[in-house]
Amino acid sequence: MKNSEDLKELRVKIIKSIQNTDSGHLGPSFSCLEILYVIIKKFINFRKKDRNKIILSKGHAAPAIYAIFDHLNLLKKNELKTLRRFNSRLQGHPDKKKLKILDFGTGALGQGLSVSIGYSLSSKLLNKKNFIFCLLGDGELQEGQIWEAAMYIGSKKIKNIVTFIDGNKFQNEFSIKDTLKEENLKGKWESFGFKYLETDGHSIKKLEKIIKDITNYKYKKPVVVYCNTTKGKGVSFMEGNNKYHSVKKLPLNEFNKALKELNEYE
Amino acid sequence: MNKIISIRDAFGRAIANEGKKNKKILAISIDLKGACKLSYFFKDFPNRSFEVGIAEANAIGIATGLSFDGFRPFVASFGSFLTGKNTEIRNSICYNNASVVVVGTHCGLIGSDGATQSALQDLSIMRSMPYFEVFQPCTPLDTKEIIKYVCKSKKPTYLRIARNEIPEFLNKNYKFKIGIPNEIIKGKKKLIISSGAMVYNCFKAIKELKKSNYGLLNISSIKPLNIKSLISKLKNYNKVITVEDHSVEGGLGSIISEVIAENNLNIKLKNHGLKNGFIDSDIPDNLEKEYSMDVKSLKKIFLNF
Repeated sequence: MKNSEDLKELRVKIIKSIQNTDSGHLGPSFSCLEILYVIIKKFINFRKKDRNKIILSKGHAAPAIYAIFDHLNLLKKNELKTLRRFNSRLQGHPDKKKLKILDFGTGALGQGLSVSIGYSLSSKLLNKKNFIFCLLGDGELQEGQIWEAAMYIGSKKIKNIVTFIDGNKFQNEFSIKDTLKEENLKGKWESFGFKYLETDGHSIKKLEKIIKDITNYKYKKPVVVYCNTTKGKGVSFMEGNNKYHSVKKLPLNEFNKALKELNEYE
Repeated sequence: MNKIISIRDAFGRAIANEGKKNKKILAISIDLKGACKLSYFFKDFPNRSFEVGIAEANAIGIATGLSFDGFRPFVASFGSFLTGKNTEIRNSICYNNASVVVVGTHCGLIGSDGATQSALQDLSIMRSMPYFEVFQPCTPLDTKEIIKYVCKSKKPTYLRIARNEIPEFLNKNYKFKIGIPNEIIKGKKKLIISSGAMVYNCFKAIKELKKSNYGLLNISSIKPLNIKSLISKLKNYNKVITVEDHSVEGGLGSIISEVIAENNLNIKLKNHGLKNGFIDSDIPDNLEKEYSMDVKSLKKIFLNF
């Protein structure tokens, strides 16, 4: 199946699972979908013991990672319908205790990059040659712990952690720029010892190329990839509209309109 | 008598010793390995030791990641700093049921450094954390025994480690049993219950009150706590006094209050500890007097209740 077909199917899975359970973070699940899809589908083999890891530090994008797991037949049939329900493995934010395939249970922002360091140190101790991919939100960069972790990764030149930023330009309440100045992110990361790359976070081709380069050690420094994305990507009236950051059940006309657009989404 | 060593020193030596047999044990320092006595482990096992700088939150996350591959990381710092990282402990360690040992040193009446450096609310914070086991040793032997258990365990664990120097007064055959309170002195009528460094002061006070016939119960296993075993000891007394170098809100006194109330035990209870939070700076001996934790004050409290 073509990537574009997959992504169409995934967005439909996401919106349906959120609609079915009455709530969820739709906008940020759509913005980071391609990044997660490329990492998980192309660079993680869940059958391999010493596989690469994916840490969804922005845990509120849980519906996206669940949809990808479902797409890869890693969930039970119809399990997406149990999203955000009592006893479900698909909790509102990822719960590793319940869903063992997760590499880290997240939800409180800012903690994923530090855990990635733990995985990396462990790989070194165990002589494993794997990569740890960590996906941060752009709003999440306001958390101080991210910079504690960045200072450690930069100082120790840890090259098997790849940090991605879902640059959708919004956070819970407002846009990033209306909340705090995010000026010169490139300079910030570079001063911490990183190679800073920027790409189109919705381009499968570009993301795949960048990750191939990094995992082939093209860069001599730890890498952070700022991905330009659109919040609510794929549905015209949701794109860049922060009203759809966290949604309740959508009105039926909106839901149907979104589904119609998604089926036409290329 | 053997050379008197501090609980923190006993802790440092014990994990370095366990580290020889158990290669899964790791140490994470937050620029305080000398003070926390992780330095022994760092010296013996440099490849399994990590200095992360002054970054407690990052240290907790790193320990969590390391634990997912089967390691047993000990992350140590002053208890006030570490347990202050509530969201990191709660969401990185607890929510993932990660096999991390959080070690909080410099608890209670630490001395001139004052309140910011002293863990005074750590037990109440940590015993509310899901899945966590919480231990506080009272002597070097107790420390060694607890470390043996903790190194084998896979559960998230909090250790409250005092810097007080305490001579070994437990029976040399003493064995730590998870959940089981240790009746150091059997008595009648009044039972003194304590944990950590204050057990020794209580021990001395009772010994000096020669004909008092007071009992002394040490609770090293704060969580889990075997309630049946505790009740079987409480039932022999009609008055209980708890003594702790920790806030009375949520600590040992609260635990005993909960057990007495929930089980309808006909026991009069006094909770003696630190009220309203912070302590002042001074040398530990003076602080013990000021907060009525020295032997003389304790004797008075025991007699008057």
